[in-house]
Amino acid sequence: MEHAEHLNHLASQQWLIPFFPLVAAAIQSLLKKPARKLSATLTIGAMGISCAFALRAFFATLGGGHHEEVARGIANFTWFKFGTTSLDLGFVLDPLTAGMAAMVTFVGFWIFVNATGYMHDDENFTRFFCFLSLFAASMLGLVVSNNLLLLFMCWELVGLCSYLLIGFWYFKPSAAAAMKKAFITTRVGDVGFFIGILMLYQHTGTLNLYTAEGTGALQQAGGLATLTGWWGLSVAGTIALMLFIGAMGKSAQFPLHVWLPDAMEGPTPVSALIHAATMVAAGVFMVGRMFPVFTAGAGDWVMDFVMWVGCITAVFSATIAVAQFDIKRVLAYSTCSQLGFMVMALGAGGFVAGQFHLLTHAFFKALLFLGSGCVIIGTHHEQDMRKMGGLKKYMPITFWCYFTGYLALSGFPLTAGFFSKDEVLLETFHHNKAAWGLATFAAFLTAFYMTRQMYMVFAGKWRGGEESHHGHGHAHDDHGHGHGGHEPNEVPWNMWLPIAVLSIFALFMGWLGTPWFHDNLFHHYLAPEEHSPEHSNLVLWLSIGVGLFGIFLGWLIYGRKTMEHATDADPLAVKLGGLFTALNRKWYIDELYEATIIRLTMALGVFFRAVDKAVVDGILHAIAWVAWGISQVVRLVGDDLIINGSFDAGCDGVRGSGRILAKLQNGRVQNYLRVMAVGVVLLLVVYFVK
Amino acid sequence: MNYAFWIISAITLLGAFLAVTLRNLVHCVLSLILFFLGVAAHYFLLRADFLGAVQILIYIGAVAVLILFAIMLTRNVTGTEGPREVFGMKWWSGGVIAAAVAAFVLQAIKADSVTAATSTTQANSSVAEIGKALVADWVVPFEAMAVLLTAALIGAVVIALEEVMRRR
Amino acid sequence: MNITLGHYLALSTILFAVGLAGALTRRNAIIVLMAIEIMFNAAILNLVAFWHFKVFATLTAQMFAIFAVTIAAAESAVGLALVIAIYRHYRSVDVDEMKALKG
Repeated sequence: MEHAEHLNHLASQQWLIPFFPLVAAAIQSLLKKPARKLSATLTIGAMGISCAFALRAFFATLGGGHHEEVARGIANFTWFKFGTTSLDLGFVLDPLTAGMAAMVTFVGFWIFVNATGYMHDDENFTRFFCFLSLFAASMLGLVVSNNLLLLFMCWELVGLCSYLLIGFWYFKPSAAAAMKKAFITTRVGDVGFFIGILMLYQHTGTLNLYTAEGTGALQQAGGLATLTGWWGLSVAGTIALMLFIGAMGKSAQFPLHVWLPDAMEGPTPVSALIHAATMVAAGVFMVGRMFPVFTAGAGDWVMDFVMWVGCITAVFSATIAVAQFDIKRVLAYSTCSQLGFMVMALGAGGFVAGQFHLLTHAFFKALLFLGSGCVIIGTHHEQDMRKMGGLKKYMPITFWCYFTGYLALSGFPLTAGFFSKDEVLLETFHHNKAAWGLATFAAFLTAFYMTRQMYMVFAGKWRGGEESHHGHGHAHDDHGHGHGGHEPNEVPWNMWLPIAVLSIFALFMGWLGTPWFHDNLFHHYLAPEEHSPEHSNLVLWLSIGVGLFGIFLGWLIYGRKTMEHATDADPLAVKLGGLFTALNRKWYIDELYEATIIRLTMALGVFFRAVDKAVVDGILHAIAWVAWGISQVVRLVGDDLIINGSFDAGCDGVRGSGRILAKLQNGRVQNYLRVMAVGVVLLLVVYFVK
Repeated sequence: MNYAFWIISAITLLGAFLAVTLRNLVHCVLSLILFFLGVAAHYFLLRADFLGAVQILIYIGAVAVLILFAIMLTRNVTGTEGPREVFGMKWWSGGVIAAAVAAFVLQAIKADSVTAATSTTQANSSVAEIGKALVADWVVPFEAMAVLLTAALIGAVVIALEEVMRRR
Repeated sequence: MNITLGHYLALSTILFAVGLAGALTRRNAIIVLMAIEIMFNAAILNLVAFWHFKVFATLTAQMFAIFAVTIAAAESAVGLALVIAIYRHYRSVDVDEMKALKG
């Protein structure tokens, strides 16, 4: 019991973890541009302090595994009261939170160190570090929160920061488009998340996840399974589905994955932060956090839905990654794919496997992204892999670090990615053989495209100096032109040191979760009440086999004979032809969205403008149109009631309301005021008629 | 009180009417001051002495002067409008809407019995009472107002200075 | 005939309508702001009249009136600053010419 009190005490200090980066962000927002040193010191220092606190909390939770239940410290407090209803917020300390916070602070710390090098020449250095601090603070707030409302606030803050950072170079049109895309796409998911939160509040009457008295929302989750929700689901299942839709947006699951690959428009440390430690991790973490709700709804199809979404994302993005030429884009799709793995594991009931893969992936994906940042800096802002090559000679440190990350991601035996991916596959194997088969295929693709990348970037000869006749199919071609002739060189210490540190973790961290010791350590730590899944030799050897086969195939196609010129066709493109183009164009998903949703919206816009021009100016006309529109709506409703689905009336209704709306938006403030006053008159009329 | 009410009301209404109809902008502001004075007189009549004083200080002393400055900064000093119409396009629709609002609200006032209330007991709204209330029961809104005013002041300066700063 | 609450309400309604008409019809942005001030004052007069005739005992209504006056002052300061900024930009304070808000 003493231990529990100690945990509660620590939980009441959990707010310190996001506090320091938040203060750092606040101070930096006031700094002037030349204060670079101070800004970087503040950001890194604050993150270091947070990291110390997170590690303290982490070690405190280690002792809890002796018992058969999760060690959990809770600290709730009342935010405000109205009448008898009070709104509580709180912080929690349990293995999930502690492990996540330690990872975010640690990885974040090294990303920040790397960023000092990457952003060295950027004019808006302080702004960048201010955003980074805020980003870290909101993610940490999300992690330590014991309340769904607080979690949601931080969730949105994370979204905002990613928006700001993806569009950090907002003067680039592609970056400006990417920031909007990320924000809007995730917002689609957030609608679902918010509905889920409201439903949870409706049925449990609280948004606190855990309370000491056992009245927290998650502690009541079991009771939700007996109530009937929507679409033939129980209430628990419906809430789980809604929460998962939120996670789909945040963690870039198909079909809301489109924003993530574009998110690499931001500076590379931001990509590392988004892809590894913060943004996308938030979705998977949230599902893990709310896992009792998901398991309570397990009788429904929700868990299968989660698993299949993850599985499809894993395979789908892995195929796309095979055909990309931008070094960061390959990694971006690989992140999508790996997130698919995590989500699939969660859907298969493998809570520990999903979270374990999240943690190991954070380390080696941060490593890979920072490594790609080093490559980009080392080659003077070149991102096209076709124009790289032979970098092993020029950038040996970066190469060896990147190589460890590559091994981990490909699932090379005994590296971090191997153990976690193996556990994911194992969980899926026990749950659904078809999904397991597809996931194994995705693992094979992962090994293949990473081998392809390694050979294109680091092997062969330096192709950057050549004059490009290739045309400008790629958005970043223009970047590298000015420096085409320069030879690449090794990056400074503040850029390679982080990846060196991370590479140690990428190599050895997996041993925490190996099934070969008497009990899976990580599993015992995170979920002591559960037994780790039964070991299966088939899964293990097949996983090793496909990994090695992927590497072998990569060597066969790209390694035996490396590319000679930047303009050479990709050997795989020669073999696959049109399929390769389809992969390169990302299965035309963006084009599909363009052709359907966006085109439709644009057409409506054009149509409304034409209508606008045809209609005479004048506010009384607008009033007349309002009346007409109301009658139209009334008629539409009437028609709907009488004649089922009257298409013509629907069209007229849309056209009519479009006319009115276009009429009202004429930019004259006084017109707006007038319409407002008309509204007042209408309200008064209602008052009298009633 | 009867005569006072009618006379002051007439002055107030006249001031308001002239303020929104006159052509010369400076005359408009002068009419507005007349209106503010009328409202202040009404406050005195209603025994809200402090508010009456505040009305004169803030509205006539500050707001009206501010408006005068704005006119001088945006027009020639005499403040006459150009050759164009004083009223904007579709001005009659604004008049109709305003008249409709007035008609409906007056109707509502007429229909409600609460309006029959007549003046009751002695007032206790001495400045001392208000001062005490402001720093006791109402101290939080009072402080919030202080912040709001500061923010508005800074905001106004920033907005008005924007172009000057950009030029540097 | 004694003066009742109704008289004051009617007065403030008419003042409000005058202000509203001014805000809706005048072309000069400064006059529009002045008209809004008139509407503000009409509302505050309402508040004070209610205080006088109905809830004499407490100071709540007067407090609200004071705060409303404060807000009105802040509003006019910001509003006029905006007018000046707009004037710098467009060389005009004609609200009919301010159409940049068009969607």
